[in-house]
Amino acid sequence: MATLNLSSLQALAFHRLSSSFPQSTPTLSFNFQPKPFANPRPISLKPYVSEKPRARVVALAVKSLGETEAVAVSPEDGQSAGELPSGSGVYAVYDTNGDVQFIGLSRNIAASVAAHWKSVPELCGSVKAGVVDEPDRETLTQAWKSWMEEYIKVSGKVPPGNESGNATWVRQPPKRKPDLRLTPGHHMQLTVPLENLIDALVKENKVVAFIKGPRSAPLCGFSQRVIAILENEGVDYESVNVLDEEYNYGLRETLKKYSNWPTFPQIFVDGELVGGCDILTSMYEKGELASLLKK
Amino acid sequence: MSSRGASALLSRASRIRSKLQTALEATVLEVDDVSYQHAGHAAVKGSSDKETHFNVKIVSPKFEGQSLVKRHRLVYDLLAEELQSGLHALSIVAKTLHETNPNK
Repeated sequence: MATLNLSSLQALAFHRLSSSFPQSTPTLSFNFQPKPFANPRPISLKPYVSEKPRARVVALAVKSLGETEAVAVSPEDGQSAGELPSGSGVYAVYDTNGDVQFIGLSRNIAASVAAHWKSVPELCGSVKAGVVDEPDRETLTQAWKSWMEEYIKVSGKVPPGNESGNATWVRQPPKRKPDLRLTPGHHMQLTVPLENLIDALVKENKVVAFIKGPRSAPLCGFSQRVIAILENEGVDYESVNVLDEEYNYGLRETLKKYSNWPTFPQIFVDGELVGGCDILTSMYEKGELASLLKK
Repeated sequence: MSSRGASALLSRASRIRSKLQTALEATVLEVDDVSYQHAGHAAVKGSSDKETHFNVKIVSPKFEGQSLVKRHRLVYDLLAEELQSGLHALSIVAKTLHETNPNK
């Protein structure tokens, strides 16, 4: 818990009471990680008025932005050199020039920063984190507002990532890739043999999984397990629904000959058949799959 | 090769066991019919054959020096007739004796 002496606490309280903002204060995007509020609303900054005991509680909840030390984010994997807390609180992301890009609040600061790094690594140079003990929604919001106010006072502007309409730092729901289709439809005459299409497909994509059913709802347990493993690995992969008789007509028989493998699912990596569900599961459990995917 | 009549009289499990044992000289051979777990399985609807899903565990010297893909292919080749006559899914564990007893 941060400790403030009485005089600085009084100064802080006095400062809050006397602070004012121009009427044209820009509207802020309220970005809560990882679960956005159902109805996020623009927040206008007004002079903070509160009873003294309230102010003291809020002031003690989190260190000021200026007092907090920054932790460098590793360029390799997005992990911090010092450990970022995985608790709840407020955090500020600085780019490599030392400019604040985004101030957010989160139920898991380390996870939020890792997610940001994954999507915009060029903007994540270092992070300041302020843990809020026993966080409830209001306390987190107050902590976030206090850091925002402090930054605006010093810089005269809102962090770019918090500007209204900027969605860079908001967690996007994962977008499922569509399954690939080998033909334009059953009625169309193929001008290229199906095995040539299969060959090109597995060689042009790092990972291709031929499964029963769509990847969003596999129709057999083995295909389901394969999809779960590939999702867990976080690898970019293509999927082909071998039961799709409209767009993948004739694929099952042709693929069995092509791969010399009589069952589904079949998983190809770097153009080579890795095997079916059993082999993929075995490799996954032994860590061999991760190694293969990194080559 | 067993006669057609003989094949018809044996259960799929027996046929699988017989083919694998003869070819692989297995020291361990477990053949489990798990078809009941896949009853109502969308991809098998319409299949009149009830014996559609099997788990097999095989320990055999024939797997020595063979990759997993080659081992599984070997098993699939031995059971090609079954796969063509309604066997829908086969889960395979294929090991050498050394892999089951690394200290020997």
